[in-house]
Amino acid sequence: MVSTFVEKLKAYSKPGYYDEFEYHWTMTIDLDRCTGCEACVVACQAENNLPIVGEKRYARNREIKWIRIERYWEGDYPDVKMGFIPILCQHCDDAPCETVCPVFATYHNRDGLNTQVYNRCIGTRSCAIYCPYEVRYFNWFTYTWDEPLEQQLNPDVSVREKGVMEKCTFCIQRIRIAKDNAKDDDKRRVRDGEVVPACVQSCPTEAMVFGDSNDPEAEVSKKMKNERGYKVLEELNTTPSVVYLKKAHA
Amino acid sequence: MSKISRRDLLQYIGAGGIGAVGGVLYGESIERPVELLVPQVVPPEDFSPGIATWYNTVCNQCSAGCGISVRIREGKAKKIEGNPVHPVSQGRLCARGQSGLNALYNPDRIRAPLTNAGQRGTGSFHPIDWDEALTTIGSRISRLKIEDDASRVRLLTGRVRGHLDELFAQFMDLLGSQHYQQYDFTNPSALLAANRISFGTEQLPYYDIKNADLLLSFGADYLGTWISPVHHGLAYGHMRQGRAARRGKTVQVEPRMSLSGAAADEWIAARPGTEGLLALGLAHVLVSDGHYSGSDRAEWSNALQAHSPSVVSAATDVPEDKILQLAREFASSKASLAIAGGATTAGTNAVASAVAVNALNQLAGNLGQPGGIIFNADQAFSTSPDAKPVGMQGILDLVAAMESGEVDVLLLHDSNPVFSLPDGVGFREAIDKVPLVVALSSFRDETTELADFVLPTNIYLESWGDDVPDPGVGFPVASISQPVVAKLYDTLSAGDIILSLARQIGGELPIQMSWGSMEEFVRERWRAEFDKRESDAAEQDFEEFWQAAIAAGVWGQPGATAGDQLVPSAASTIAAISDPVSEFAGSESEYPFVLHPFLTATFLDGRGANLPWLQELPDPMTSVVYGSWVELNPATADELGIEEGDVLEVVSTAGSVRVPALIFPAIRPGVVAMPVGQGHEAYGRYATDRGVNPIHIVAAQMDAEAGDLAWAATRVKIRNTGERMQVVKIGGVSRTLGRQILGPADGHA
Amino acid sequence: MFDHGQPSYADVNKDVLSTMLETGPRYWILLGTTMSIAVICFFMPWLYQLFVGIGAAGMNRNAVWGTYISNFIFWIGLSHSGTLLSAVLHITNSHWRKSIYRSAEAMTLFSLMTAALFIMVHVGRVWFVHWTFPIPNPMGLWPNFRSPLMFDVMAITTYLTASSIFIYMGSVPDFAAVRDASTGLRRRLYTIFSFGWRGTAREWHTLGWAYTFFAVFVIPLAVSVHSIVSWDFALSIVPGLHHTIFAPYFVCGAIYSGTAGIVTVMYCLRKFLGFEKYIGQVHLDNLGKLLIALSLIWSYINILELFSTWYGGTSFELEALKFRLTGFYAPLYWEMITFCAFVPLLIFFKKIRWSWNKMLVVSILINIGMLTERFIIVATSLPRKFLPDAFGFYLPSWVEISITIGSFAIFATLFLIFIKWVPAVSLYEVKETLKPLRRNT
Repeated sequence: MVSTFVEKLKAYSKPGYYDEFEYHWTMTIDLDRCTGCEACVVACQAENNLPIVGEKRYARNREIKWIRIERYWEGDYPDVKMGFIPILCQHCDDAPCETVCPVFATYHNRDGLNTQVYNRCIGTRSCAIYCPYEVRYFNWFTYTWDEPLEQQLNPDVSVREKGVMEKCTFCIQRIRIAKDNAKDDDKRRVRDGEVVPACVQSCPTEAMVFGDSNDPEAEVSKKMKNERGYKVLEELNTTPSVVYLKKAHA
Repeated sequence: MSKISRRDLLQYIGAGGIGAVGGVLYGESIERPVELLVPQVVPPEDFSPGIATWYNTVCNQCSAGCGISVRIREGKAKKIEGNPVHPVSQGRLCARGQSGLNALYNPDRIRAPLTNAGQRGTGSFHPIDWDEALTTIGSRISRLKIEDDASRVRLLTGRVRGHLDELFAQFMDLLGSQHYQQYDFTNPSALLAANRISFGTEQLPYYDIKNADLLLSFGADYLGTWISPVHHGLAYGHMRQGRAARRGKTVQVEPRMSLSGAAADEWIAARPGTEGLLALGLAHVLVSDGHYSGSDRAEWSNALQAHSPSVVSAATDVPEDKILQLAREFASSKASLAIAGGATTAGTNAVASAVAVNALNQLAGNLGQPGGIIFNADQAFSTSPDAKPVGMQGILDLVAAMESGEVDVLLLHDSNPVFSLPDGVGFREAIDKVPLVVALSSFRDETTELADFVLPTNIYLESWGDDVPDPGVGFPVASISQPVVAKLYDTLSAGDIILSLARQIGGELPIQMSWGSMEEFVRERWRAEFDKRESDAAEQDFEEFWQAAIAAGVWGQPGATAGDQLVPSAASTIAAISDPVSEFAGSESEYPFVLHPFLTATFLDGRGANLPWLQELPDPMTSVVYGSWVELNPATADELGIEEGDVLEVVSTAGSVRVPALIFPAIRPGVVAMPVGQGHEAYGRYATDRGVNPIHIVAAQMDAEAGDLAWAATRVKIRNTGERMQVVKIGGVSRTLGRQILGPADGHA
Repeated sequence: MFDHGQPSYADVNKDVLSTMLETGPRYWILLGTTMSIAVICFFMPWLYQLFVGIGAAGMNRNAVWGTYISNFIFWIGLSHSGTLLSAVLHITNSHWRKSIYRSAEAMTLFSLMTAALFIMVHVGRVWFVHWTFPIPNPMGLWPNFRSPLMFDVMAITTYLTASSIFIYMGSVPDFAAVRDASTGLRRRLYTIFSFGWRGTAREWHTLGWAYTFFAVFVIPLAVSVHSIVSWDFALSIVPGLHHTIFAPYFVCGAIYSGTAGIVTVMYCLRKFLGFEKYIGQVHLDNLGKLLIALSLIWSYINILELFSTWYGGTSFELEALKFRLTGFYAPLYWEMITFCAFVPLLIFFKKIRWSWNKMLVVSILINIGMLTERFIIVATSLPRKFLPDAFGFYLPSWVEISITIGSFAIFATLFLIFIKWVPAVSLYEVKETLKPLRRNT
């Protein structure tokens, strides 16, 4: 009994409390390819039923964009440079947001994803406080679409009501469909390239790569090992699942 | 049990009866909830609920012609992706392409034909029947035809390629009018003119960015708005990190950093209007330093004599050693490519500048080479043989004709010159003189508001059609556009409207243009092409071929490149080299700043402003949403005491606008920049009365050779009105403050 | 202890019970006013927010927490008054607490209730807030006990329960006194409330023991409650919040603002219920000294915060500090420092310390400063987290300001109801301090 207890205690120190992830969904974003064109932003909006927030609410900083492009200037005119970096939920294995939700509305699943359960969320918003990347977005209102824009809504993704927190899910609906298909197809594993989140699919420069880093042959596993690879705010030890490749020099 | 009297019994029965009847009535009055819960117990035949189908078609949000795949669930379009087998988009798509769903399901779409009952321009339309509208218009045109006056009918469309173009041309031809013209603000007129001069081609060549090692862009925002952003994005990504141990370098020359400028390794802010001169300076160094070893060295040297680095440096404000270094790099790179666009090809010296850039390419010897300029093979099919005007010159001619009463009927389709041309062109006033204006349009934009009849068109997602991407991809490609959803409203595709009009007009037209619908027409045309190439095809049945083509959304012949890429001689380029001096409207003393309007990656030339997703999308360089702004250099702003949010009045010789200021680190001090796309006066709830349109204050000048608006040749002055306005943006502090966000600090620079 | 000569036992009963048994029109007007303000300023905007969404408040993507949380913490802080005064001073046998501890304990209870209300206002889907309680449910889900917010739930529920029992228990003899002095319905009610208290020696002994037990129990509870509340912030990694000093800081601040609150309430009791006889100079003097001590500790902790931030030198912390000291809310920060660090130094002077009017002003200023402090902590750290391009701002909306005002009205309403149902001054404890009358003098 003591040993199970000790094991349970040890499990807390493992990312997501699991001994191993069934799949470990990881994304790499190559900043040398990213041009800040924001195709990923609109693709995500279309795929995940993100609301149209409106100018008044934008003015009060209440936008909902699960992936956003951050821009950083370096230097001053005329030696000025601009760097873009897409920031989305990093699906941290040691996510600060997961420990603080009082009702377990956000938790780490066996696929290494930080999931958000909309119908469990009571809206304390502490997860957004704890997230250092500020990638969690709250539904301050119940948003509506001017008819007939709602005809476009994706039936695979729930539409959130007011009072609920939301964030990037790595297009979990696409992951689920791929896993279902793989299960039907002789109970095999999902192959590399079968799951493509909306942002990754749309990126014109192919800057984003997504896949299962448990699979050493997957493209993402190879890209992760690139010498330019780093993680944002790595020093906070959140163990993100998104690896950025630093912009190279001429 | 107590005795019940008869009276009591009757009362009980009565009460019970009333109760029962009441209950039945009440029960009948309750809405059957089942109808609300399960709308389709027996689903319709054309889709299976819960299963998505994908249809391939062509995007129409800009002129690139990317192939797209649309996901359909229960007969509704849910998501647009790039078509994986289409050579332009290759499965990828830009923000504008993704927003096509907003156009399809836009709340402000015109849902039925409208007429304004004689009160043009008041905005008061009422719906009418298709038959009534077509009869009225048809009879008007047919009367003109009978009187041999059909040249008084004019057709103005946006940029249309493919067989719809042929349909329009045939229609006008059969009518007896040669007045079919197109207008598109984003048309690279100067580039086309320069290519005509240098290479003798009518189409755009394929700029092989993918295989370049040094890409030198003079003002061309190839990643954001220039010609074919998705394809260039693919090429850029590959150029950077797609080749082992070989990373391409990019340099951007422009007075205000665009998206491509941000991606570039070097951004050079030459004086506005002098980019062409800089190109000549580089060319001079290439020749004088001995990097160019062609047989026509002497001719080149002669032509470039006056453009020594010191002279060019003084004129462009680019340091001499930078010119020398850049030239040497250009020469020594394995694959160098120079492109021109944006403000460089929008001054009064547009064509001269583009010719200068062509000269660079010729000196680099990259014509017909990988990583250089690849001339497109014969197009899959050519539609209209005559080149029709696509620039401002055409509009000026049209305006002159309208003013002098030469136009009786003006047919408009997908073009908004009232918005995207300066007021000085006089389109709005001239159109007053036209008795009948018919607009084929999906939205009530500024130009459509001036029509007498509005014939609502299908959105591209509801239409049959085809397209030949321009620029091509180096081999013949043709895309098919098919409806992905049943049309939502009482609309018709533009092609169908023309066919119906042809039937109304009568005479030769319905005989020659006998197709029942656009679908039939496209199919028939493809069959004709198919038959022509029968020997090439593998003994296929046309039906099979057609089904395969529709399923794929595209047809191509990857093997067929443009023969031996004939390398045009440089003689014509050399002859065309001139001093690309640009003129600005307004004197420098009175108007100290150069106005730099720029196409936005979100709205392009304003066409995307009615799409809420694009209004919501933060501008990539500034993160501003839902409004306009004017950008100033930080030092300039300091000098003038201007802060972000101060409302400035920007005045040119053509007019003035009031717009809030934004401090922008990457713009030349003597330049102010404003985004194009906002400032609509009509065009739906998301676009109307939002921001300002800088084209209003652009002087109506042209580069005569390009025949198009020189929108980068206006000078302005600014005045702080003292008012303040919040510039709505999501960006906070756009400096890393020493934090390792863009990557760990290097050991090396 | 008594400024105006020692009252007799009968006087004590008469003075205190008359506040309960006789009610003039002034009371009803006051009660009506506070209830109206509570409804108009608190409940109606809250109802509006329930329909429209939390967006009716001013919070946004960065500052997802705003005045609701900062007010919540303020009210929890205010609740430390009773505990300290009642429990701590009981254990140290301070006699001067005897006339004021009942009202102080009531303050604790009502502050806690107001704080709990703020949680309900703050949460996005309040109709599911019961999911934070470990109630068996058909979903088979327990709440997340690792969460600092769950610690909050546990701690505050415990504190609320313990405080209620504490105050009730201590009031039982007084309920008996009311029972004996009243007739009719009131008599019957108070018979029930007093559990049939007869005042036997055994009962007194049991009461004394139980009361002391609770006093000892409630002290660590109070310290832990506010430490736990501070850990909502301190366990995050947000710069400006992630400091180990937060637990002592908040506990100190809580006791500080609670004590200042007591001064304010005592002033009101003296003025409106005529308790000058029972609440006098010695109370003011001692409360003042307590305030000074707490103020000095509070100032020290603030200096520690500044120093350790500067010493640590990380960009994250320095940027948050810069924003706090020189940003949009800098005037509020400096107001807080003035009111909480400098103004209380005046208490060193007897002239201030012994004047009820002046001390009222000082205590109100201290509480304004403390309310600002909670707000500053939230409003200046959240807009300056880790990614500079995500920096933002926070501006409370009219709904939040109205609800803040309304919360004071709710507190006042509860307190006004309290003084009519429970003797505001503890009869038996005050009588303990009186010298007994000799028979033959």
